[in-house]
Amino acid sequence: MRDIHARLKQRHHLGQFERQRPGLAFFTVPREYLRGLLLDLRDKEGFSHLVLLTAVDWMEEGLFQLTYMLNNRAEDVTFGIRVMLDRDEAEGDSIHDLWPTAETYQRELKEMFGINFPGSPRIDDEFILEGWTDLPPYRRDFDSLAYSQQTYAERPGRVTHDPREHMKQKLYPDGV
Amino acid sequence: MGLREVLTPFTVWKRVFDEPVTIKDPIGRPGADRYRGFHQNDMDKCIGCGTCETICQNAAIDMVPIEGVEPEKGDSGLRPQIDYGRCCWCALCVDVCMTGSLTMSNEYTWVDTDPDKFRFIPGIDGDWKDDVAGYEREGQRVLSGVERIHMEEMEPEARICNFDEIVAGYTREEAVLEADRCVECGLCVATCPAHMSIPDYIAAVRDQDYDRGLQLLYETNPFSEVCGRVCTHKCESSCAALHEGDPIAIRWLKRHIIDEVPFDRRIELIGQPVEPNGRKVAIIGAGPAGLTAAFDLARAGTSVVVYEALEHAGGMMRYGIPEYRLPYDALDRDIGVIQAMGVEIKTSCRVGRDVMMEDLQRENDAVVLAIGLHMGRSTRVPGTDGPGVEKAVDLLRRITDGEEVPVPEQLVVIGGGNVAMDIARSMARLQKAKYGEVGITLTALEDIDHFLADPEEVVESREEGVEIFDARGPQEVMRDASGAVTGLRTWRVKSIFDAEGRFAPAYDESDERVHAGTMVIEAIGQAADTSLLGEALTEALEWNRGRIRIDDAFRTSEPWLFAAGDAVKGPDVITAVADGHRVARTVMEEFSARQVMQ
Repeated sequence: MRDIHARLKQRHHLGQFERQRPGLAFFTVPREYLRGLLLDLRDKEGFSHLVLLTAVDWMEEGLFQLTYMLNNRAEDVTFGIRVMLDRDEAEGDSIHDLWPTAETYQRELKEMFGINFPGSPRIDDEFILEGWTDLPPYRRDFDSLAYSQQTYAERPGRVTHDPREHMKQKLYPDGV
Repeated sequence: MGLREVLTPFTVWKRVFDEPVTIKDPIGRPGADRYRGFHQNDMDKCIGCGTCETICQNAAIDMVPIEGVEPEKGDSGLRPQIDYGRCCWCALCVDVCMTGSLTMSNEYTWVDTDPDKFRFIPGIDGDWKDDVAGYEREGQRVLSGVERIHMEEMEPEARICNFDEIVAGYTREEAVLEADRCVECGLCVATCPAHMSIPDYIAAVRDQDYDRGLQLLYETNPFSEVCGRVCTHKCESSCAALHEGDPIAIRWLKRHIIDEVPFDRRIELIGQPVEPNGRKVAIIGAGPAGLTAAFDLARAGTSVVVYEALEHAGGMMRYGIPEYRLPYDALDRDIGVIQAMGVEIKTSCRVGRDVMMEDLQRENDAVVLAIGLHMGRSTRVPGTDGPGVEKAVDLLRRITDGEEVPVPEQLVVIGGGNVAMDIARSMARLQKAKYGEVGITLTALEDIDHFLADPEEVVESREEGVEIFDARGPQEVMRDASGAVTGLRTWRVKSIFDAEGRFAPAYDESDERVHAGTMVIEAIGQAADTSLLGEALTEALEWNRGRIRIDDAFRTSEPWLFAAGDAVKGPDVITAVADGHRVARTVMEEFSARQVMQ
């Protein structure tokens, strides 16, 4: 794996090789070199299978991370390729023409993270959320608790107790 | 709709005779080993801190009382109840659990027609209660920090030759990191004798809002400089974080707040007392109980005079606790705020000598007795009478007053409490200055695991060269022909209490030792000096085993006299503060009752 990385490093400006376990390694690549790298890996290095495409919200750093997992079935090795995007712009480059399944992943990322992939088929169609109007729910600034409290009715009869207050009532009711 | 969409459904007909890949009846098929199914809770391990409720992103968890589980130190008695109409099985509650009691089974099928059945208390309900398979957190909790932020302290070599303060205090960065570890469950509040708003002031540190932090401290404790340094911090022994890691450094965070607010700003933030109410109260003893009562009464508009026999105010906080643990200027700032509330402190004014009890009774609406325990007790073993045998409290007082005290090269301390450690460590410093070496032997009845002193006191004493012999009972102070002390003879302790729990040490006489030393210091406890009461009042008052009897509200048997602090209760500063608040409240309630009567 290291040799493939070394071979492609210069041409595609690859970041440091990070081996996670036998047969799995990660590295980062600048957005503009992604497509060329994927083509080389698919057509010349035998990485024919796109395992998945997912994202991480690095809110504090103002970045989204895309992770492309590519597998070479014959060699049983997997690369995780990371691309960092500006969180405010939140736009990646579609690869649906390289792997048709990417279309589905990109639709999911559009809906759950709000990351756009211009040109990707049906990119604006609803994926699993129907009639969603709030922030994309996988963004870390989405307040899940506030949303569920606003959206779902409370079953009647629920009562909770604050541990501190409960202990006061039971152990020192008049405050001393 | 195109032609493709119309025809596609028919293409599946080619599979009509294939073996299906799906399972015909999935009910009864077990989940994977780490499947996140219905919750389990180890009811004995759970402490009811409610952190699971706080983190739940679906508001699915309520904390509810459970029959047979009563609140106690470090356990609220509540347990989580989960509404499965809301739970999304994310397992954040399991990951955040402070004790690791909450886990999940791999059971995932449950059918019922009654929706309320799905509101469920794990650990009590459910057939999967004891299942082994399912999800649990791997390794220790990571969502809140496990390790306490290190406190900078002077190394033993640097501190042993002086009385400089040992503990440095947190920087802002350190304090925020430590505050961040707190989950704000509030289990500690019940344990604190003064019930300080601990989670709230820790939140104030995290928010860097020191003004709010200071106001919170003063709501329950006017001695945060003191308690931020020397509190026995029992709160930390009921902290939820200690089950998997270090408890939050509550005491150091309190000190951090007070460190960050300048003296004048404190007075500004607390504000001035209310209008005078025309009542007068005399308080005897300027220790933590007396001064806390004075603070509360003065803020309520009462005119308060505190009578202190010694030269400076502070009581045992000044005369008992050595300067390396509590610098006098820190204590003076706490007292200064109390004085700024209009409290008058008359020092070097001993009741019974400089002012008479009858006069205080006549001239005031109430008198509060907070005289502490300033008379050292003696073991009364043979040889204790005569020169060369000292009481720890007397020596500590003289060191504070700057008096010259005898410093022999080798001495023996009797006692295993904090006072014993205080005198041993103070004498060690004086020996180091005089001889360049420490020569102190400390003997105690208790074995080392049951010492009454705080564990860190024992550790630091040893670091400073104090040699500790545990489970040793003093038998005789040895003297030579001229009567000079040569050492202490001890036997090994087999047990301290008898079958009924009474103090009755039993010894192994065959295990005898003589600890050499030309001075023996007794630090085995103190008594109150009640001679100031005078004969008539002593006779009139009700007593309880040598202490003035008080009721729950700190009333003595005399309607004008109240008592609080070590002299009637004890054992530490924070308890004295709590007592001070309570006695002040009683006095004010008394005033209101009298007003109604009139």
